[in-house]
Amino acid sequence: MEEVELRRIFMEEKMNEKELDLTGRLMADMDPGLLDFLQTKVNSFVKWDLVRFFHDNPHTTDTADNIARYAGRSIDTIRTELADLTRDGVLEENQLGEMTVYSLAPDPHTRNLLEQFVRASDDRQFRVKAIYHIIRGTRQ
Amino acid sequence: MERVKTGIPGLDEMLQGGFLPQTANLIEGAPGTGKTTLGMQFIYHGIVACGEPGLILTFEEFPQQYYNDATNFGWDFRQMEREGKLRIVMTSPEVSKADLEAVGGRIEGLIQETRAKRVLVDSISHFERLSEEPTQLRSIIHSFVNALKREGLTTVLTRESIALLGDSEGTDDALAFLVDTYILLRYVEIESAIRKALLVLKMRGSNHDRGIRQFEITSRGIDVRAPFEGREGIMSGSPRRMVDSFVQAFVRR
Repeated sequence: MEEVELRRIFMEEKMNEKELDLTGRLMADMDPGLLDFLQTKVNSFVKWDLVRFFHDNPHTTDTADNIARYAGRSIDTIRTELADLTRDGVLEENQLGEMTVYSLAPDPHTRNLLEQFVRASDDRQFRVKAIYHIIRGTRQ
Repeated sequence: MERVKTGIPGLDEMLQGGFLPQTANLIEGAPGTGKTTLGMQFIYHGIVACGEPGLILTFEEFPQQYYNDATNFGWDFRQMEREGKLRIVMTSPEVSKADLEAVGGRIEGLIQETRAKRVLVDSISHFERLSEEPTQLRSIIHSFVNALKREGLTTVLTRESIALLGDSEGTDDALAFLVDTYILLRYVEIESAIRKALLVLKMRGSNHDRGIRQFEITSRGIDVRAPFEGREGIMSGSPRRMVDSFVQAFVRR
C-alpha cells in the first residue's frame, strides 16, 4: 500500500516537472538576448519600471531621490535596484559635486537591448513571459 | 540689432522683432495661461524657421507630455528629437545647476551635440525649493541663468503665479531683476467671460510695446492680437470700461 502511494506521488511529481518544464520551455521562447537581459539585468518589477523610465527619458541624469519621485516609488525601494542596474552596466553612476547621480549607460549594445526590450514589452505575450521569468527569478 | 524671433504673431512686434540674443526671458502666468505653449512655440519656431536647434529642461512634466502637447499644434517634437534638432531633458533644478557649473557636464554635451541656440526652462519656480532665503535663491538662479548665457543660449524661463486673476501676491521679484525680458500672462474677466492678456513689463536694452494685448491659444499656437481698448485696470483681472471710470470720477460728484 505504501509502495503504491509512493509510486503515485512519484508519478505526480514527474507530471508536475513535465508541466513545469513545458511551461518553462514555452516561456523561454523569446529572443535569447532579451531572455538573458530579463534574467540577469531586469529581474524585478522595480527594475522594469526604472529601465522603462530611462528609456523614455534617455537624457535624464538625477539623484536617487528625484528618480524615486519621478518613478512614483520610495527611495528605499529603488536604491538597491539602481545600484544593481549600475553594476550590470544598464545605468551609470557619477558624482556631481556632493550628489550621486544616475543616468543611462552610453554603451550602444545595452541601449539597443533596452530599446528591443521596451518595444517587445508592448506585446502582451511577451509581457506574460517576462512576468513569468521575473516571478520565477524572485522565487529562486 | 539681431533678434531671436519667437514666431508668435503679435509678440515679435511687441518685442521690436524678438528677444535679444543670449538673454534670459521670463514668462510668468497662472496655470493654463499658456506659458509652456509660448515656450514650446519659441523652440519650434527656432528649429523650423531659423535653423536653431533647441533644448527643453523640464522639472515637472515628462517628455511624453511635451510630445503630446506639441502634436496638438501640429509640431512633431518626437521627429525633431530623432533628427537631433531637439532634446527634452527631464531633470531637477539642483542637478541641472550643478551639471552646468561643472566642466564638460551632460547638458553642455547636449548643447554641443545639437548645436542648440534656444532653451526653454519649465519652470524656474522649482528652484524655490532649493532655498528659502531670498538672497541665496537669487544667487542660485543668477548662476544658473548666467551658465545658460555662457553656453550661447537664448532662454525662455517660465514661472507660475498663484493668483488666477489680478496681481499675484507673495511673488519674489528678485527674478524680475535678473532677467532681461519680463512678460506677464494674465486672465482677465470682461463681461462675464475670461480672456487672456499679455504685457511686456520689461525688456533690457531695447524699446518694446507697453500696451496690454489680448491673446488666444489657437490650433497653431499662441496668437497675440489687438490691445484692449476703452478699458483700464486690465491687469487687476477685473477691468472697467474707461467711460464708467469717467462717470464714477466726475459725473456722479
